[in-house]
Formats: sequence, structure tokens, C-alpha cells
Amino acid sequence: MATREPETGWHGEQSDVNHLRGRAFEATCLALTAFGLVSVLLLLLFVAKDAFRPLSADTGWLATYAATVLVPLAALGVYYYRLDEPAGEVAYVTSGLPVVGLLLTGGFAVLFIELLSVLEWFALLISLAVAGGLIVAHGRLRSKAALERLAVMFLAPILTVFGLPPTEFNWFVTDAAAALGLDFGLYYRVISLREAIMLLPFVPTDWAMLLLTLVLPVAGAAGWFVGQRRDSRRDSLAVVGITTVFAVLGVVAGPLLGIGTDIWLLLITFAILPLGVYVEGVVRRGEGVRGLAFPVIAVLGVAVGSVVTGVLGFAGPESWLDWGFLTSATSRTAADAGIYPAMVGSVMMIIVIVLTTFPVGVGAAIYLEEYAPSTGLMGKFVTLIEINIGNLAGVPSVVYGLLGLALFIRILNWPQGSVIVAGLAVGLLILPIVIISAQEAIRSVPDSLRQASYGMGATRWQTIRQVVLPEAIPGILTGTILALGRAIGETAPLLMIGAAASVRLAPNSFFDVASMMPRQIFTWSSELDPAFRHGVLAAGVVTLLAVLLVMNATAIVIRNRYQRTG
Amino acid sequence: MSTETPGPDITSRPSGRAARERMYRYVLLMCAATSILVTVSIVVLLARDAITFFTLVNPVNFFTGTEFLISRDVYGLLPLLSGTLLVTVISAVIALPTGLAAAVYLSEYASSRMRSVLKPGLEILAGIPTVVYGIFALVYVTPFLQSIGLPVNTFNILSASIMVGIMIIPMVSSLSEDAMSAVPDSLRQAGYGMGATKFEVTTGVVVPAAASGIFSSFILALSRAIGETMIVVVAAGSRPRMLNLSDPLANIYQGYQPMTAAMVQINSADTVSQLGFTSLFAIGLTLFVITFLLNLLSNRIAARYREEYE
Repeated sequence: MATREPETGWHGEQSDVNHLRGRAFEATCLALTAFGLVSVLLLLLFVAKDAFRPLSADTGWLATYAATVLVPLAALGVYYYRLDEPAGEVAYVTSGLPVVGLLLTGGFAVLFIELLSVLEWFALLISLAVAGGLIVAHGRLRSKAALERLAVMFLAPILTVFGLPPTEFNWFVTDAAAALGLDFGLYYRVISLREAIMLLPFVPTDWAMLLLTLVLPVAGAAGWFVGQRRDSRRDSLAVVGITTVFAVLGVVAGPLLGIGTDIWLLLITFAILPLGVYVEGVVRRGEGVRGLAFPVIAVLGVAVGSVVTGVLGFAGPESWLDWGFLTSATSRTAADAGIYPAMVGSVMMIIVIVLTTFPVGVGAAIYLEEYAPSTGLMGKFVTLIEINIGNLAGVPSVVYGLLGLALFIRILNWPQGSVIVAGLAVGLLILPIVIISAQEAIRSVPDSLRQASYGMGATRWQTIRQVVLPEAIPGILTGTILALGRAIGETAPLLMIGAAASVRLAPNSFFDVASMMPRQIFTWSSELDPAFRHGVLAAGVVTLLAVLLVMNATAIVIRNRYQRTG
Repeated sequence: MSTETPGPDITSRPSGRAARERMYRYVLLMCAATSILVTVSIVVLLARDAITFFTLVNPVNFFTGTEFLISRDVYGLLPLLSGTLLVTVISAVIALPTGLAAAVYLSEYASSRMRSVLKPGLEILAGIPTVVYGIFALVYVTPFLQSIGLPVNTFNILSASIMVGIMIIPMVSSLSEDAMSAVPDSLRQAGYGMGATKFEVTTGVVVPAAASGIFSSFILALSRAIGETMIVVVAAGSRPRMLNLSDPLANIYQGYQPMTAAMVQINSADTVSQLGFTSLFAIGLTLFVITFLLNLLSNRIAARYREEYE
């Protein structure tokens, strides 16, 4: 440094500051950022083109719908973007809610068609409700006896749902006895409330049962939510009342319109009720009311378009992705192939994951955030758990498949490729993701709330249940939905546990061999016939991506609405 | 709330309540410990069958063998490793510079409106199922490569690796961006104060300061590429093949079978010997160890950079 002249000016004084290099660098970075996005966007356009085949439609058909739907909606979109952003959000939610509602309706419809009858559902729900009532009643009557309450909490659901002893336990004992060469079984048992309801000589009609166990509870929850938000008992009663009236009206009018009563009730519960509550809220607040124009114009546009194309006789596209594709099983001929059984498999797999992974993951997150000591031997153990969860998130999915194969199929001898094995293997895969996202949600609850609760004399568990969890629920929900999206698309574990390449009949129980959407798509990808490769395969990919898109959009909306600022 | 007696009740013995609180604590602890159980069962169950395999096949032969033919009970890992290596290298060539550039742009240059478009876009890239990427590679990318005159086979490692590369871009970009955002603003201000341009501050101050975080994201992305299964199963073919070192460029036009694809194939084969089936676990264990070590390494590096600025 001794040889260097002392600098007097500023760096780069002699030459002009080179802006060109900086600009070029910025442009390169932007181009590279866009590279991945644009190439995937192009691929998505290609696959959508293969799935829908818009060019197979008459030019007149395309022009009509462009004029009635595309142009007005695009104009509205530009208007919202430039001038009225709150209305844009309203438009986004009011268009999205029916889609999510339809997806849920479809899921429940599949459930009632394939997995359990309405009567079984009714019996299960009533028994669970009675068990819950017993627990609450015990808490009221003997509020001091906490240990006794524990026993009631465990025994009440078993008694009402499974009976004493539970049938499965009975089978287990009988099998074990048979293995020892004994003829021993528990022939006398207390049947559960659920079984008793199933044995009733007369039962209410399907729609009455659905009304009682699905529509009214959901309407009640919505009413409670509205009542809380507005501090008005009248409003919450109005929500419940109007929903019930609509449901009953639908039951009467449904057959005239050609909609089954069950479907109608599901639609009311999952699509119309949330939409109605949201729209009513928007109108009341008077903020972004113009956003409501978007779905109205979309529906009107489709209606006008269908009338015009019908009158003028324009033929629509011969899309691979149509109602037939969604409702039929796969086939050797491309024209008949469909994805329905695989969709049922995916829905049932999601049920397994939600029932197993979700509670464990959230429980683990609660422990790590609220209980975990940071010192001593337990502290070291907790650190180990934290590091381990991070590492598990990076284990390749195919290894989880191998774990599922070794544990559930080879050791526990569960049927190869069954829904439960698939659900558990994929559930283990997303467990670390659920834990990490739930931890983040719980961590973002401010400490002052906890301190306030402790200050009121609440115990740790009471604080968690009454203060922390309600605050953290939106965050946990967002993370879980994203993790479920990951689960729906996972294929490698399904291959390892031997999920069926394709099935003709949808699974009816959790121990049935099933195929799932990505597994079915993988099967199609090995077909050489171009009708499969550029048709059925594309339709399957678009279906899968559409489901994921809806789930991710829901998660993002929840995140944006409830995100803690600061 | 409704279950509580009204008013403070300090006198009563907290008989069952303490027990109940303890029970909740243990139940939740068990939930947390499940993750340890998962790791342990992966190691134990994979090792159990892998050991059976290694008692019958000499580990030295397994790790140095240049041929992998289940039908003749010849198990050499090197052809499978060649495939994995190729996928990793090609996808790294695509994803690391791209992801880093994206991170630089998002963290240093992008306006908030641009960020609000690009970040969810990259999240979407990460959310697309890998089997879909595989189909993209097989049905659209390979014909495209053929149409521009590259001599690629129907199943080739190049198009599979391109899709693997695109798939891991978001992982590199989001973790690197976090590292760059963690660089204190004072460092940037100091750079500007010296008269440096934005370009000089970005490349001379921010990127070196975030280097350990960037490296950690690179390693994690490589580990992800090594473990990627569906893209290579769908698009890279099913033929284990050694690297041809005399003509390196020709390699990328051919099909290979990486370790993950071999595992899927062995598992779904109709007739496979008991030994062949246990080889599945030997390969799986190797894969698990490689990715686990890479993840640990990445964590170590990331932990170091955290200490520097907080």
C-alpha cells in the first residue's frame, strides 16, 4: 500500500460511472428469473392446448365466447387492476369461493357414493355428538374431578362409536385365540350407539339426516362466526334460518331441476352458504362492491354464449377433459378413458393424511414452541428433534416410499397398494413440512397474549387451547393446505408401496387397493399411442394441476387475509 | 371457559389438573418424538435388508462394479451413480446460476410490484408435482430438442435434467434471497458511501457477504436433484449405463438410469429374485446417506452465516 498515491477524488472520478454494465446485469438477472417461469408457462400452455383442443372448435364458437366472456372479463380485470384494487380482491374471492365450494361438494359427494352411506355418516356423527355432549356435561357437573374427566374423555367416544369391547379389538382377541388353537371370543358385547342407530327399523330420509348432521352444523358454525364478527345474535340466527329454508326449498325443488337432493344439500353447505355470507358482508361494508360484477358477468357471458352458439349451430371443441373424463374409469381406448377411480383414491388418501399427520404434526409443533425446555438433557433432545425435522424435510420422497414398503407392507402385512398404506407413507413425507409451518404460525402469536393469559391464572394447556391456537389457526391452515397440495402430487412413494397402475372400480374402504391421480397419470405416460400421450395424459395433468391451483389459491387467500402485520 | 368455576379458586387442591397438564405435555412430546422415530425406522429398516444384501454381495464389488443387470444378478452401483451424477451436474449448470440471478434480482433490484408477481410465480414452480415435470420432459421437451437438431434419444438424460434444473430453481432462489436479505443494510450503505454503483455493491458486497447462505442453498438443491425420482423415471429411460469418458458430450443425448429410477424399476418388476429385491434397500440406503450428509453439510454452512450477522 505504500506505493499507492493518496486518493483525493472519489472512486471512478476519471471515467464516467459505467451505467451500461449495471443495466446489463440487471437485465440479465431479470431474464434469468423469467427463464424458468416463462418456460414452464409455455409448457403449461402446451399441455392445456392438448387437453382442451380449442382449435378443434368452430371459429364462430371461439369468436362468440371471446366476445361474450373473454373480452368483458379482461376489460373488467384491467379496470380493477388500474383503478379499483379492493374490487379486484372481491372479484377474486367471489369467483374463487364457488370453485372451492364445488371441489368440496365433489369430495363429499364422492365420499357418500363410494365410502359410506348417508345412514352410516348420520350414525357416526350423532354418536360423536353424544360423546361430546357427555364430556361437556361431565365437565359441568363435576368440574373439579379432572382425572375422572380424562377417563370420560376416552371412554365416551369408544362407547358411543365402537361399543364395548370394540369390534376390531374383539376380532384381534378371537384371532389371537384361534392362533393358539382355542375357540375363544367375546360373544357378548355392548353395542355402540352408532350400531344401534344403524339397526333402527325406521330411519329418517337421506335428506333429513344430511340436513341434521351436515347443513345445520355448518350453518350453525357460519352463524356463530357472523355473530361474533358483528356482535349480533339476530344475524347469526338469520344465517342459520335462511340456510335451512334454502336447503328445504332445494329438497322440494331439486328433483324438478334435475339435481339430486344430496348434491343440492352439499352445494348449499359448501358453495352457496359461504358465498352468500361473503357477498352479504361486501354489500354491507360497501367496499369494492363493483367486484361483484365479475362473477355476474362471467355467468351471464357463458349463458349468452351458449344460447348464441346453440342458435347459430357452432360446434364446441372436442376437449379431452370433459365430464366423461372426470366420471369414468380408465380404459384401453383413449376416448373412453377417465380418471374417476383415481380421484376417489386421492380423496381417500387425503382423508387418511388429515386424520393422522395433521394432529401429530400440530401436536409436535405445539410441543416444540410452547413446552420444549431449552436447557438440560431434555433441551439437548429437543435440539436433536429440531435438527432431525429439518433433515427429514430433505429426505428424497422415494426413500419414504421404501420406508412405507418395509414398515407397513413387509412388517405389518397390510395389503399392498391400499389407501391406508399410501396415506401413511405420504403422510410421513409431509409430516416435517406440517410441523415446520405450524411452528412458524405458533411462533408468530405475540408473547404478550400468552403472558396475559398466564396472568389471569390459566394453565399452560388452557393458554394454548384458548389463546394460542385460535390465533395460530389461519397460519396452520395455510401451511397444511400447501402440504396437502404436495401430498396430492407425490408419485414416487405410491410407486414404491405398489399402488395400482390403474383400477376400474373406485376403492370402497381404506384397505382396498387403489390408484391415485398422479399414479394413474404415470401409467398413461408410458402409453405410446398419441391419443393417450397428447390427449388423455394432458387431460389428467390439467385435472391434477387444477386441483392444486385451487388449493394453493385458497391457502394464499387465507394467508393474505389473516397475516399478522409487523 | 364454561368448564371453570366462576371466580378465582386458589384454595382448592389442583388434584387432577396437574396430572392432566402433565399428560398433555407427554402426549405432545410423543408427537414431537415421532420425527425421531421416523428417522430411526428409516435407518433400521433400510439397513436390515441392505445388510442381508451385503452378506451375499461383496460391498466392494457393489460400490465399484461397472455393470448393473438384475436379470443376471450382477449388481454394480457405478452405472446408476453415473446417471445420478449426470442429472445432478446438468441440472446444477441450469439451476445454480439461474437461481442465484433470480435471488439477486428479487433481493436487490425488483420493485415491490415486480416481487409480488415473481415470488408467487417461483412458488408455483416449486408446487408443480414432479411427475408433471417428467411428462413435460418426455412429451414436450424431448421432441423440441429433436426439432432443433440435437441427436437425442426418446428417453434421454438431457431433457430430464433440464426439467430437474427448472424444478430446483425456486429452492436456490428463495434460500439465497433469504441470505441476501439478511445482509445488513449498513454494508450496502457503506458501499454506496464509497461511491460504488449498485452493480458493484451487489456483486462486491452483498453476494460475498451472503456467500455461506448461497452455498448452503446450492448444496440443498443438489441434494434435491440427487433424490429426484419421477422426472428421471418418466423421461430418462431405464437402461443403466456407464459414463463414456472419451466423448463426454455424447453422454447427455442418451438415456441413463439414475439410482432413484433403478429403485422404482426393481420394485415394479414382475419377476425379481430375493437378492434383487434386497438390492433395492442397498441402493435406497446409499441414496439416503448421500442426501442426509449433504443436508447436514448445508445446515452447518447455513448455521455459520447466521452467527455472523445476528
